[in-house]
Amino acid sequence: MSSGCPPQSPAVAKSEVVIEGECPLLAATFAYWDNILGPRVRHIWTPKGDQLMFLSDGEVTFLANHTLNGEILRSAECGAVDVKFFVLAEKGVIIVSLIFDGELKGDKNTCALSIILPQTELAFYLPLHTICVERLKHVIRRGRIWMQKGYNIISVLSLEIVPIMELLASMKTHSVPEEIDIKDTVLNDDDIGDSCHEDFLHKAISSHLQTCGCSIVVGSNPEKVNKIVRTLCLFLAPAERKCSRLCKADSSFKYDAGLFVQGLLKDSTGSFVLPFRQVLYSPYPTTHIDVDINTVKQMPPCHEHTYNQRRYMRSELTALWKTDSEDDIAPDTVIHTDETFTPDLNIFQDVMHKDTLVKSFIDEVFMLKPGLSLRSTYLAQFLLLLHRKALTLLKYIEDETQKGKKPFRSLRNLKTDLDLTVEGDLNIIMAFAEKLRAGLHSFVFGKPFFTSMQERDVLMSF
Amino acid sequence: MIGSPDLVAFTKEDEYGHPNPDPWGIPEEFSVPLHPLADFNPWAKTSYAKFTKDFILISEFSEQVGPQPLLTIPDDPKVCGTFDLNYFSLRIMSVDYQASFVGHPPGSGYPRLSFVEDSRVVLGDSKEGAFAYVHHLTLYDLEARGFVRPFCMAYVSADERKIMLQFEELSLRFSQASECLKAGNRRAFAKELQRKLRDLEYTHSVLQKEEGLQREAGPQTMYSAHAVEKANELANVEKSIYEHRDLLKQISLYHHRPRRDPHAVTCQKCMNECLSECEELLEKYAKLANPISYNNKGRNVGEERDQVDDFGGEEEVDDDGVKRRPSYTPQLIKAKSAKCFDKRLKTLQELCDETFYQATVRLLKETEKSFRGDLCYLHTRRLDKMLRRKQQVTNFLFEEELGEDDENEWGNLRPFCAVNHVVDNCTILNPPPIVLGPDPHELDSLEPPDLLDLASEISHTQELGVVESHLESSPSDQTLETQESSEETKGSLSSGKSGRSQTTRQQNQTPDPDSDLTPDRDHNTDLERESSSEEMETTAGEEEGDSGGDQTPVSLLEVVPELAGDRDSDCEGATDGACELQSDLLVPLDTACCMSQEGFLYEASPPEAVSHLDHSSNPQSCDTLVVNQEPQALLPLQDDYAVGSPCSESPTAGLELPVGSLGDTISRTSIEEGSDCTMSVSTGSERAASPLGYGRGVTLRQRKKAGQGALRFVRQYPFAMQALWCLLSGRTLVVLGSDEGRVRRLVAALALFVPGPGKCGERVQAWLSCPFTLTDLQRWKLVGLQRVASPVGSSMLYSLSRYSRYISILDADQKTLRCPPYCGQLLANIATHRTYIRRGSTYFLHLQSTLCRLAAKAFLFTFTHHLHLPVSSTEGPEVVEGRRRCFLQEQLGLGEEDSLILLYLSQLITQHYLQPATGGGAAASYFNFDYTTSVLYKI
Repeated sequence: MSSGCPPQSPAVAKSEVVIEGECPLLAATFAYWDNILGPRVRHIWTPKGDQLMFLSDGEVTFLANHTLNGEILRSAECGAVDVKFFVLAEKGVIIVSLIFDGELKGDKNTCALSIILPQTELAFYLPLHTICVERLKHVIRRGRIWMQKGYNIISVLSLEIVPIMELLASMKTHSVPEEIDIKDTVLNDDDIGDSCHEDFLHKAISSHLQTCGCSIVVGSNPEKVNKIVRTLCLFLAPAERKCSRLCKADSSFKYDAGLFVQGLLKDSTGSFVLPFRQVLYSPYPTTHIDVDINTVKQMPPCHEHTYNQRRYMRSELTALWKTDSEDDIAPDTVIHTDETFTPDLNIFQDVMHKDTLVKSFIDEVFMLKPGLSLRSTYLAQFLLLLHRKALTLLKYIEDETQKGKKPFRSLRNLKTDLDLTVEGDLNIIMAFAEKLRAGLHSFVFGKPFFTSMQERDVLMSF
Repeated sequence: MIGSPDLVAFTKEDEYGHPNPDPWGIPEEFSVPLHPLADFNPWAKTSYAKFTKDFILISEFSEQVGPQPLLTIPDDPKVCGTFDLNYFSLRIMSVDYQASFVGHPPGSGYPRLSFVEDSRVVLGDSKEGAFAYVHHLTLYDLEARGFVRPFCMAYVSADERKIMLQFEELSLRFSQASECLKAGNRRAFAKELQRKLRDLEYTHSVLQKEEGLQREAGPQTMYSAHAVEKANELANVEKSIYEHRDLLKQISLYHHRPRRDPHAVTCQKCMNECLSECEELLEKYAKLANPISYNNKGRNVGEERDQVDDFGGEEEVDDDGVKRRPSYTPQLIKAKSAKCFDKRLKTLQELCDETFYQATVRLLKETEKSFRGDLCYLHTRRLDKMLRRKQQVTNFLFEEELGEDDENEWGNLRPFCAVNHVVDNCTILNPPPIVLGPDPHELDSLEPPDLLDLASEISHTQELGVVESHLESSPSDQTLETQESSEETKGSLSSGKSGRSQTTRQQNQTPDPDSDLTPDRDHNTDLERESSSEEMETTAGEEEGDSGGDQTPVSLLEVVPELAGDRDSDCEGATDGACELQSDLLVPLDTACCMSQEGFLYEASPPEAVSHLDHSSNPQSCDTLVVNQEPQALLPLQDDYAVGSPCSESPTAGLELPVGSLGDTISRTSIEEGSDCTMSVSTGSERAASPLGYGRGVTLRQRKKAGQGALRFVRQYPFAMQALWCLLSGRTLVVLGSDEGRVRRLVAALALFVPGPGKCGERVQAWLSCPFTLTDLQRWKLVGLQRVASPVGSSMLYSLSRYSRYISILDADQKTLRCPPYCGQLLANIATHRTYIRRGSTYFLHLQSTLCRLAAKAFLFTFTHHLHLPVSSTEGPEVVEGRRRCFLQEQLGLGEEDSLILLYLSQLITQHYLQPATGGGAAASYFNFDYTTSVLYKI
């Protein structure tokens, strides 16, 4: 580290967070641009436990101050959260900074919430970047309201900083490897139904693909859970696998929004409580798979999920805005305060749409001899087909709508032309396409859905 | 009844994009939009930036004018549009972290160069819709403040996700560019130091001389003000000399410093070269006479002049000992440098060695090109390649070649130097997604000399002679020969039960009976039993060369034994090592999973042996080959073959004879020549101008363009489905027409449907202006045939009618198709003229996915073991055949005609798998003909 660090300001508050295992995060900081003193660090969070590298408080302060470099030129719209990402080989660290404006002591200030990791963790961190940023962005939205009210933002930020430290620590030990050996999955069974029921496997994979590859697998037996987790991960891209987590053998991790597949262990009573708010905040709808009772449930498709998510976020922020006391925040409280939006807690529903794509794949793959590379090859062919179909669908819509300039009105033609007349098949391909082009579901299916929601709201208000 | 349009009018507006301000509600800036722009247009979020497409910006933090843009790639003002480059340069340069110490550190007598690692930053301007990956670096400049000039290279895009998702690749590419610039800069800096030192030494000697003269002229105890000034100046120059020597020393130590950046890309060759240069300079200037020694009073003026001449007129001696004029003449300089604003700062080109600068710009241009386009297409293309790499067993059917450079695309770019290793690694940097096949010329030049050059030359000459004689022979000779064989075929077929038959051409290479790899009698009987009675043998192939190398049957017939002899003698003689190498390449198969009808079918015999067995004693067995081995087990073997045989790299790859296990191969040159001769027979120079890219890989662009043609064909011709079925089921399709352009376009479009078209499309003949033979039909699956009104034309029509039972004829002029009827459903999705697909590129994507599905089904059919093997010893071939048919009909839901497609694809896969040496030549080994009456389809 540079020896020329400025002396540490005695005013910097610091929280040490106890983290189980090795946390790759070195520190998190909250800094702001003081109109008189320039960049100032307000708070530092550091993990307490095994660390890959040590940074002194002075070094952390030095780095955090510099995250505001050049931000005097910032001309973003009010409320915008911009992301800066530094890889500083000279310091051996990577810094992720979220720059936003907030009110401190009656002045509008530019602020930066940053997390610092060793540069050696770059490859580990990059796949998780979007998850971290999206979660931090939302906590900043909440924090800005708190700042506006003159309350202490640090307590709000801590609500997300600590779980992110835990998430990164858990991913360090339990993330799914990029390359999965098919032998560790259900697809290596001699015959379909050897380790799980045929229809269950079909439903699980189909729903998993329909929900953009986002699934939670719960069960009492960690080996069984992890086998399904690995099986589902076979259908993900390598980077998505790095955003998936196996379940811990002895105790369960908490649910983490944003991971693609995560295995969760039931407690001794045979239950697992899912935090409603966080499941709703996942970027994609989720499939819930219980390996104990062989059930598969799924959340509504992307456009509905996104709509519900945004309404919930708006409700949550409105509730905070209307809060009168600083003590009224709780991280996972289900918001009921907004009269215009009552969340439907029964968000997981049965898989309604059958498909032919996964069905025929499951039927056929078990015909090939296990233990060889035949099944892997066949799986690769299946995935290639799905990716190509998704791209074709995207291109078809692009052509039809002149890149979104015109509304899409020819879903029936699309289904016929691209051989997607079976609803489940269309859902799977749309889910793949949604990952390529965010907002596609809303664009294609949104209008009627929003209209129906409007109707419902109007009817309810009579 | 209240309908939805009535209700909409009553709904609250605030939820639907028209904010209705509520004085007690949360302000929008603290909330999230319920319907962001992306919901209404997912393409919109990348379209509000003021620039039209991504570009690379090089900026500098100038000590005179502050941050300024220097260069954009592409260098087109339209790209940047109204985007304010000055403002953006200011923004990206102000986040630099490299503000490390420069100048005189405390306690140090000399200025120190700061060796700072590059930093990488991703930042954005959400208001402008511009995001950038910024790579900061510092270059050395002797005249700059602290000797450093901060620069940055930025990849600017409107899509933030694109940058973050490709961060590692961007980082790698820009690190390469940065290292290239810095390597050039160190050289330039060392040269600048050299010049400066020369100037200083020269100035020092002049000053010293003047001072000496003054001292001698004046009284010993008195020093005039002028003399004192001179003495101070001299001291300053001396100090400056020491400082610059130290800088030279420092820059030469650059290479020894530990790197702190784990992601830095360094070229060892560049480093070593630069290091040796610096050390050379250092040594040179250390050897120079110490400036202080000029105080020797004993030296006379003449000697000093000589000394001055040593600096000023130093002659350079090159390697040949020839004296050349010096490249630089030292000048008298002032010890103190000019003030900051008085001097002109060096340009980036001047700061770096020209070669390195140009290499960097080239590298950045390639980077810009490779990251060009929408993220979803880039992302899918990468996934596509990654997945295709896992299914190399079937890739040959419909997929383009996966080049070597593709290996590096998935985040595994090899460290590379734009200057020194440009020849070795140029393929890495060529934009991989577009090039689908290797450039034969480049490959040829890069290939190691053939091991069998001697044999090649001999065969070359011999073959030329043979072909010449062949050229002289009348067409009727050829037709007679093929007529005979076809008659024979007809005769044998007439006894068959089924109307369908397949002809398999055989290799004429007879296996060495003494070889261990020769199959024994038992195997032969097994294979005989395996073959179906419906699949008949033809004698036509026996007379001809290998399926893959069937250019001119007569010539090859004559040449092959001699070649084999030549080659054998060659191997025995000079190239023992080569022979060993080749035999080493023949890795025995893992036979653990090989099963035969009664146990193991190909027990202990590698695929080459199988192929020889087929060709020698049981030719029809090829039809019923069963794959019982794990595909991966063969892949290295295939690769190894590729080393020994240039099949995969040669433009005429598919025309080459396979390298057999017994070593009976034909040299590459001879085959190439053979193919050229054939071309001269049939098409002359037309072939080179084929839109299908003969002699080189077909590019993605060409394929997409062909997609457009295919869509037009499908829309225009109601019998398109029948034509596609012919192609996909292995029946040769002849496109007949008088307009060359139209025929070529049709052929290019239809070529997309030819299974296993060969690496360079050698199964497709775009334009043929002479009669063809049965051999041609076996070699080509799609032929464009000229319709001419002349004697030649009549012979062509004769050949058409002669072979009409084996081929389908698409008449481009009459717009008719003559082929067997097809009523299947498998192709309905890609061949319906009622499709609403608008663009050729979209149709091409649709086609790709459909063909991918077909290939997958064929793979499944081929490698589902129990289908092809008897469950018990009592089970006869009829039962097995029934099971296969049942699988196709019931499991895959295919009708009789659709099954033919799968069967054909499966045969190709089997042969490709079991006879990897033939590579794409597998397709030529079969041609189907059908006794079902052909039907004439009209528009």
